[in-house]
Amino acid sequence: MAPEDMGKVPSRMRFLFALSSVVFVAVLAVSPVKDLRREWKQYKRDYVRYAQAHPDTKRLLADYHPGIDQIWIPEMNVVDRCTTCHQGTTQASLADASVPQPFRAHPAIPHRVKDWGCVICHRGQGAATEVAEAHETTLAWEQPLLPSRYIQGACGACHRGNLPETPRLNRGRQLLAQFNCVGCHRLQGIERPAMLGPDLTNLGTKLTREWLYKWLKEPRTIVDSSGNVTVNGYETEEEPRMPKFRLTEQELRGLSAYLSSLRSKPVEVYQFNPQVVAAWEKKPDLVEQGEVRFRQMFCSTCHSLAVTRAGETKLIGGDIGPELTKVGSKVDPDWLTAWLRDPQGYLPHAEMPRYLWSDEDLFKVTRYITAKLTDPDLLSDVPKLAAPKPEEMQLGRRLFLEKGCASCHVIQGVTPQKDFGPDLSNLGGKNVSQLEFGQAKIPRNLLAFIQAKVTDPASVNPAARMPQYHLNSVDLEALTTALLAMTGTPSASGMERLIVSHPQAEFHPAGAFGEVYERYKCYACHRFNGYGGDLAPDLSYEGSRAQRPWMIAFLKNPQTLRPTLIFRMPQFNMTDQEASILADYLGMVFQSPAVNPAGVNQKEFMPQLASTGKQLYEVKYQCRACHTIGSTGGYVGPNLSNVGNWMTPAWIEAWLKNPQALAPGTIEPRRALTEDEVKALTAYLLTLRQVTAPTRAAPAQGAGR
Amino acid sequence: MNARLGLATLLVSALLGLPSCRQKSAAVQTDPLLKAYDVEQDWSDPQKTIPLNYQQGQGKRLFYDKCVWCHADATPAGPSNRSNLNPAPPLMNDGATLNGLSDEFMQNIITLGGSAMGKSPMMPPWGRTLTQDEIRAIIAYARAIAQPPYHPPARPGSQYSEK
Repeated sequence: MAPEDMGKVPSRMRFLFALSSVVFVAVLAVSPVKDLRREWKQYKRDYVRYAQAHPDTKRLLADYHPGIDQIWIPEMNVVDRCTTCHQGTTQASLADASVPQPFRAHPAIPHRVKDWGCVICHRGQGAATEVAEAHETTLAWEQPLLPSRYIQGACGACHRGNLPETPRLNRGRQLLAQFNCVGCHRLQGIERPAMLGPDLTNLGTKLTREWLYKWLKEPRTIVDSSGNVTVNGYETEEEPRMPKFRLTEQELRGLSAYLSSLRSKPVEVYQFNPQVVAAWEKKPDLVEQGEVRFRQMFCSTCHSLAVTRAGETKLIGGDIGPELTKVGSKVDPDWLTAWLRDPQGYLPHAEMPRYLWSDEDLFKVTRYITAKLTDPDLLSDVPKLAAPKPEEMQLGRRLFLEKGCASCHVIQGVTPQKDFGPDLSNLGGKNVSQLEFGQAKIPRNLLAFIQAKVTDPASVNPAARMPQYHLNSVDLEALTTALLAMTGTPSASGMERLIVSHPQAEFHPAGAFGEVYERYKCYACHRFNGYGGDLAPDLSYEGSRAQRPWMIAFLKNPQTLRPTLIFRMPQFNMTDQEASILADYLGMVFQSPAVNPAGVNQKEFMPQLASTGKQLYEVKYQCRACHTIGSTGGYVGPNLSNVGNWMTPAWIEAWLKNPQALAPGTIEPRRALTEDEVKALTAYLLTLRQVTAPTRAAPAQGAGR
Repeated sequence: MNARLGLATLLVSALLGLPSCRQKSAAVQTDPLLKAYDVEQDWSDPQKTIPLNYQQGQGKRLFYDKCVWCHADATPAGPSNRSNLNPAPPLMNDGATLNGLSDEFMQNIITLGGSAMGKSPMMPPWGRTLTQDEIRAIIAYARAIAQPPYHPPARPGSQYSEK
């Protein structure tokens, strides 16, 4: 190049330079425009527009901040920018459902958003500033927003104890224990109950091979397409705990052969008094009488039966014991009689009380069960099964362990495998990429995965050992919620350890009381100092509440105290001696520190005071809205017609002052009664006495132990 | 012997009556998901469900524990105590009656009871049993299920959503 040409640029080049700078400037200009059009800024502008049209404009705009809003809590590792778009979360005037999202206020919750951020409860990506990144599963983020139906799962990650505010989580945890998920899986903070399914050691004396075949093939629970659960074809709300195993014909034959051959101890056939049998055999209404007795004893408090009303058949009754509609076609009649007399003789841990039967009652009720609670077609679809062959029994024994039966059932001499199923203690914290969906045609997220695994494990993994559970939609959601709460080790910040209460009591008193208590299994329904069931009233303070003669009369002939209750205490046919042992011990031991009998002077309760109390009861406080005396009044609270014979004066006083101190969950509201009013009401209530005709139960003879 | 027989008949007839109670309550709630606390079936239109937020859901929980016995025609136990009372308490979804009452009035009548507010003394005071937050939740629930629907008065700073 010539020197004079140096510095001269050809005009074509100049043009190119000029063009490139224009393009460069234009490209540079795009980014502020792009920035201006970012998703969150759009929401900011929309919010301003919305706030200007809102009556509370001044307040809303005063709190407005144009940039990215962030909740930063370093000690909890929270960086949440959700409030950038969800700007009204703390604005009281935006609480109404008509306010469009994302501007609506957060409903009142026990945690302040400012102290906790959003992601701890809702999941999602807190630092994201785009809608999809923040809410959904993306390549970089696999913990999408939790649908609000399952949000209690987030509560459970920290709160290991049951909160009243999280009923769905509590129910789910209860189901984890009820279905014995910990039999096979490891789950944070849930312990294996002492015993779940029946002990099968002596099963061959109770059941036939055919019945076992049918049961193993299709446990009687069926859920139809609309989600109705049926047992034996009858509708119910309870899901029996036995799941359905996908067994082949050969496996069914093997297991039924093995189980039906388990006979460790022969049934002791009970010999009825021949005179009783001869007298009763002749009566035409023997079965009907048996049914009456069955009902009188309130077997239905624990067992359900199918009842047809207005063309609709449903299971009615309790779920502590098994459903009995077709039990007559299930069990051996000799076994049944032996069981009714002494359940613990067959199963030492059986929850069924040992009733004190008379020969007559036992005969009648057994006949009723074997004659009426039957279904001739029950086993019609079961193939003819010959006597078990040794190779079948061997296969069955192997399957019992391989299928996981041993995780719930006990057979003496058979040791279950440890850690049979996968560890689920961190299931709720799993990322989608950690889950194996297999060929399943379900959405790729944790919720769908959990629900498919529970309801149809084979759809996710055809070789899964996990059986199929039948859950209605409510319980499925509850169980999912509880599993979502399983996010590894809980923080050691003094939060309670999760405990799922076991109805089987740890409280086993010694002595004469202990014997009667064990015999009638009081703890199956009642709670004593935190141990026991919750079907019937908590008796931890019964000694302070009830008068001894009333207790004895009640135990001998239980009458319902609350008219709206469906379940009633069974008629145990207790002896006088047993009733007084129970009453003495309850009166001595189960006392409330809040009730002070020494502080009550019964001499104060003059007729004058009682009439003041009557006035207060009837006019000022209108107690009759909830309580019945005689034939008038409400039926929310217990009937008070006989309260003078029933409750102790000290209990009545303490109860009137603060019912929740004596029974924390009770419905009766605490009122601001003066000391004089309490005295007057107590005086009046003590005058309410019924004279009961002495009812004499027929003395039991022979049959009980 | 006669007394025994009479007692037996009484017990049997009581037991026979039970299924009908159960069915009545079951008929009200067909979809089991309605038992959850984040939705409520419209009391006057079984086809409609109402979504509830956290506060309203807590209100529903408290309502079905404490209030349902007198402020609904079907209860978890079957029969309602409402028909027993005179004057009959309003149903919880009775918008015609409750929409006209301010949040403050509702808060007061639940806290202090009917007699304090010039209403029936059969309504007991709940202020010493429930917290103010719990009572707010119950009001939020009543507002959510009201028929005709409840529209809050257009005034800023209603206290029932404040955190």
